[in-house]
Amino acid sequence: MTRARVGFAAVGLTCALASGCVRVARVAGEPERPPHDLAVLLPDPDGTVGRATVSNASGATELSEARAATRISPNQAPSPATVMSEADVQREFGDALASLPPAPQTFTLYFQFESEDLTPDSKALVTATLQAVKGRPVPDVLVVGHTDTTGPATLNFQLALRRAQTVRALLMTAGLDDSAIVVASHGESQPLVPTPDDTYEPRNRRVLITVR
Amino acid sequence: MINHRPTRFAVILPLMMLATAMGTLPAGAQSSPTIGRVKIVTGAAFVVRAGTPVPATPGLALLETDSLKTGADGRLGVSLNDDTRISIGPDSEARLSRYRYAPAQGAIALVLNFIRGAAVYASGQIAKLSPDAVRLETPAAIVGVRGTTVAVRVDPE
Repeated sequence: MTRARVGFAAVGLTCALASGCVRVARVAGEPERPPHDLAVLLPDPDGTVGRATVSNASGATELSEARAATRISPNQAPSPATVMSEADVQREFGDALASLPPAPQTFTLYFQFESEDLTPDSKALVTATLQAVKGRPVPDVLVVGHTDTTGPATLNFQLALRRAQTVRALLMTAGLDDSAIVVASHGESQPLVPTPDDTYEPRNRRVLITVR
Repeated sequence: MINHRPTRFAVILPLMMLATAMGTLPAGAQSSPTIGRVKIVTGAAFVVRAGTPVPATPGLALLETDSLKTGADGRLGVSLNDDTRISIGPDSEARLSRYRYAPAQGAIALVLNFIRGAAVYASGQIAKLSPDAVRLETPAAIVGVRGTTVAVRVDPE
């Protein structure tokens, strides 16, 4: 039940809660260490590093670089940020990180004018899309249809839906269960390339596929 | 059955209403819509729903207020409808306390409570659309994110 604590021995925080110290002290052969939460900022899958703010009633700490970490004890402000080593991150979070599902992949398929037929280029992309789906242990897929602004919005809503359903049919033909597919239409409301109304724009006639 | 090429309005209209009502994520207008799915399971891993632990299996649908929980040899990874991903290590627990993802209705929110053990949060569309809509809570602090990946460990009480 109680995890090894050796990795925290070097942290050297003062004891914040008597009860916590008693609990830690119960673990035979391990150095005393206070209870605390730990929050670490990690790089995103694409390598960029975002930001996180860790706060409570006593203060706040900004995390803004890879593996920047803060420790939080009850009734104390989060500690100033320190950078953890990759090895420390792996020791603390290796199991959880190993179970993080892979980042979603997105594919965009384009359609011919006022049609639910794929463009020739996009037909060639279908195989890669289906392979991405099959490469996932438990795939679920979001399929969102779009149109350009040519014609009435209500008809475009239907056209975008039919485009999305075309993709759904492709996925099901490839063996994906219907229950793993969610289909939606955004009609002409979310153009990839903003245009005035009634504008012919091939780049907006698309279906966005998110493979999770 | 879904008609792939609906030509009759009788078919189109209900679909339109359905898709419109549900916005970007038409996962369900039911009372308990699916908010995500279990993806990776190792060892003893559970989804605790209304107080009852259900053994986690890949593909299991998740609902708002579910908790993810693991035993000493357990690990669990899930993905949510907005592409948020969450995983927990052994002897860990995290609760999906609040989840809304209907951007067309302006309803987006994610509140995760890290209860004990190790967890990783990798941000999705909710954090991208509205960083302030995401709250990662530990017993002693709140983590606000700006589109990022965060690992959190909570000492057991």
